[in-house]
Amino acid sequence: MNKIELHPLPVRILHWINALSFLVLIVTGIQLRYREMVGIIPFRPAVDIHNYFGFLLTGSYFLYFVYYLATGKIRLYIPDLNLKRLLMSMLIQAKYYGYGIFIGDKNPFHAAPDNKFNSLQKLSYDVVMGVLMPLQILTGVLLWNVKGFAKWITMAGGLKIVDITHVLVSMCLVTFIFIHVYLSTLGATPLEHIKAMFTGYEEIEEEHSH
Amino acid sequence: MMQSTILKKTSLDFLSRRDWTCPGAQTRPLLSLIAGPVLGLVYMLYMPVVFLSFLIMLLPCIAIAKSGAVVLKGDSEMCLGCHANEGMIRKLKDNTTLSVYVNAAQVSGSVHSFLGCNDCHKDISMANHPADRTFKNAEDFRATTAKLCVKCHSIDTFTAKRMHYQVITQAKAPPCVECHSAHSVQRVAAIKASESNNDYCLGCHKKNIRISSTQSTVSIDGSQLHSSMHKNHDCASCHTGFSKETHPLTPFANKRDHSVTLSGTCMQLQCHADKTVQVAGSIHYSMLKEGNLNAPVCTDCHGFHAVRNKSAFNTMAGVPCKNCHQDVFTVFAGGVHGKARLNGNSVAPLCSSCHHAHDIKATVLNEGIKYSCLGCHKRAVVLHKKWLPEAALHLDSVSCAVCHSPDAGGMVFLRLVDKNTGKSFTESQVIKLLGENYPKELIGPMIPSNRAITEEGLYAIVKRLNAGSENVKVTLIGSISVSRGIEAHNLTLKQHAVKECEQCHSAKSDFFSNVSVAVIKDNGEAELFKVDQKVLGSTYSVLPANQFYALGSTRLKMLDIIGILLVVVGVSFPITHLLIRKVTAPIRKKREEEHK
Repeated sequence: MNKIELHPLPVRILHWINALSFLVLIVTGIQLRYREMVGIIPFRPAVDIHNYFGFLLTGSYFLYFVYYLATGKIRLYIPDLNLKRLLMSMLIQAKYYGYGIFIGDKNPFHAAPDNKFNSLQKLSYDVVMGVLMPLQILTGVLLWNVKGFAKWITMAGGLKIVDITHVLVSMCLVTFIFIHVYLSTLGATPLEHIKAMFTGYEEIEEEHSH
Repeated sequence: MMQSTILKKTSLDFLSRRDWTCPGAQTRPLLSLIAGPVLGLVYMLYMPVVFLSFLIMLLPCIAIAKSGAVVLKGDSEMCLGCHANEGMIRKLKDNTTLSVYVNAAQVSGSVHSFLGCNDCHKDISMANHPADRTFKNAEDFRATTAKLCVKCHSIDTFTAKRMHYQVITQAKAPPCVECHSAHSVQRVAAIKASESNNDYCLGCHKKNIRISSTQSTVSIDGSQLHSSMHKNHDCASCHTGFSKETHPLTPFANKRDHSVTLSGTCMQLQCHADKTVQVAGSIHYSMLKEGNLNAPVCTDCHGFHAVRNKSAFNTMAGVPCKNCHQDVFTVFAGGVHGKARLNGNSVAPLCSSCHHAHDIKATVLNEGIKYSCLGCHKRAVVLHKKWLPEAALHLDSVSCAVCHSPDAGGMVFLRLVDKNTGKSFTESQVIKLLGENYPKELIGPMIPSNRAITEEGLYAIVKRLNAGSENVKVTLIGSISVSRGIEAHNLTLKQHAVKECEQCHSAKSDFFSNVSVAVIKDNGEAELFKVDQKVLGSTYSVLPANQFYALGSTRLKMLDIIGILLVVVGVSFPITHLLIRKVTAPIRKKREEEHK
């Protein structure tokens, strides 16, 4: 068993900033959208908090992006460009999560600092960080200043379309978070991966990775 | 006895009698036949003698005239023995008194100077002189004595002068002396020459005269005219077609028709060209053009002859709008602006401050009201930005009164707008876009009724409109305005204004339970077509109303369902996976043991 630094400090800090922002944005977002049903905080402060954490998440996202670009670790997110190999890899990983894990098979993927994510992880993170997050940030910024970005909103199809996109993406992200948190408990112990996100270090032999 | 007979006559009676003749005008034909040649001979022989005698007789008169003395005919001197006394009065039956003073100079200078008192006052002599309390009142006296005029001026002589004839043949015709005076009667031509145009008109119109057919008064208070903004104008400046020489018969159907026609003159004369343009675009003028004679015209606000300065309207008492909109004005007076005015704040707004005076539009879709508010409350935008998120957006899409008149309620107005120009379509433009053969069942909900337009119906309407022209792209733009227009005028202090976001941003907000499509008719009025409130949360509204969205209030139901499904997936995957792991734990344990 080798303990290696799987999550560098900047990644860990940004990850937990993201996590906190997600949590606050989800709560305040539900509050704003379903005010007549949810009464955690009044509407007015909910708007401000949602805006503050929206920009915090936006800033964190861009730092994340800059960090991965600057260090070249962006490669971690690039999937295998060989489609056949990629599909096989995804199938093997899906088979493990859908069957092998139940009967005690070993995780076919072994995390390493230069290869942290299995093919399913890469795909889901690519969708989340490459598609959903930019969409969410873009629509969030437009909704933050509807009057100022009126032309952009019109180009995007109208205020209603922008709002639907923002809400729909947030719902997808909520779904992702449920699964993301669950999969993070599939280490050697339920808290292993979560601890690693604090300490940075993880034992890379014989564990599952998510 | 004769006097009592006269008193019993009505003014109408005396006008119907036509057997009056001038004194001495009765003739005897046979006597004239014999005496004619004789008199002709005498006339030829003695004419010079008669002429010289006439001159000799006239000399004293000329001398007297040069000396300023008054010469009266017949027994008039005797009458004036008493009636020249300025203090002479007669008591009337109504216990009032009447001056019976006669100015001898006026009589001698009048067109009737050749008559003696007894020529008109035939029934009065020293032996038969009216005593006190003979006449009921001053009017009775004037009416009775005026009847004497028609002894010479037969009613038939007025038939050529139609207006004069119409006035004097009325049941309650004013006595002749009302206009012509009693003892200082002048030739009309002389009056025309000596009086200004307006004084000539007022000669009659300051009297109590009415239009015979409608009994509408045409009396004018001269003092009002002299103090009006139009005091330097001739009557004929506005009353075109009337002059000293021409007075057509009343061409108006009634008093209202008169006002409307005269107000048309105000606009046609171009004296007020700028206001004319504004009025022509107003809702009031549109109503008038549609034939609604109750729509206000110039004279309704500005008055007829007492045309007042603008400052006269700039008071709570002087606001003319309340003549029609009293209910609104009462509410306004109780609001913050009305109270400020009543407390002496002369800069507090009145009706025209917000609605303008001449280019008044339907307020439902009138953004001008907002700019009126911001015109005075110049820091409103800045102050709202301090606490209100998206302040500019709110000010764009929510009318001020929705928050600042809390009793006025709120409702959603959807406008059919051209995407390219941002302008609202009028009713005729909508009909044109729909085409002549538009499906009636489609547009049926657009016909005002209790039936609300459904979500599918609204979608179909906008789709149809967009198919009407390649150059026009129709969309629905929404805004929130008051649902109770009268209460909207009860503006309150800002500390009492709506500040709770939840009042709007909640699916339970009343503001979104009342939705209408507002279409501006060609006359400027807004036609409201009720819309099913489900439209705002319907998937069908995504495209036709893609620019109207209120956070929390108009959320799509379909999106809520998708959200619930996604969360169910997000939650059920871990739970299911975890359960299977629990169930399969013995398998893994067994394999692990085998592996060991």
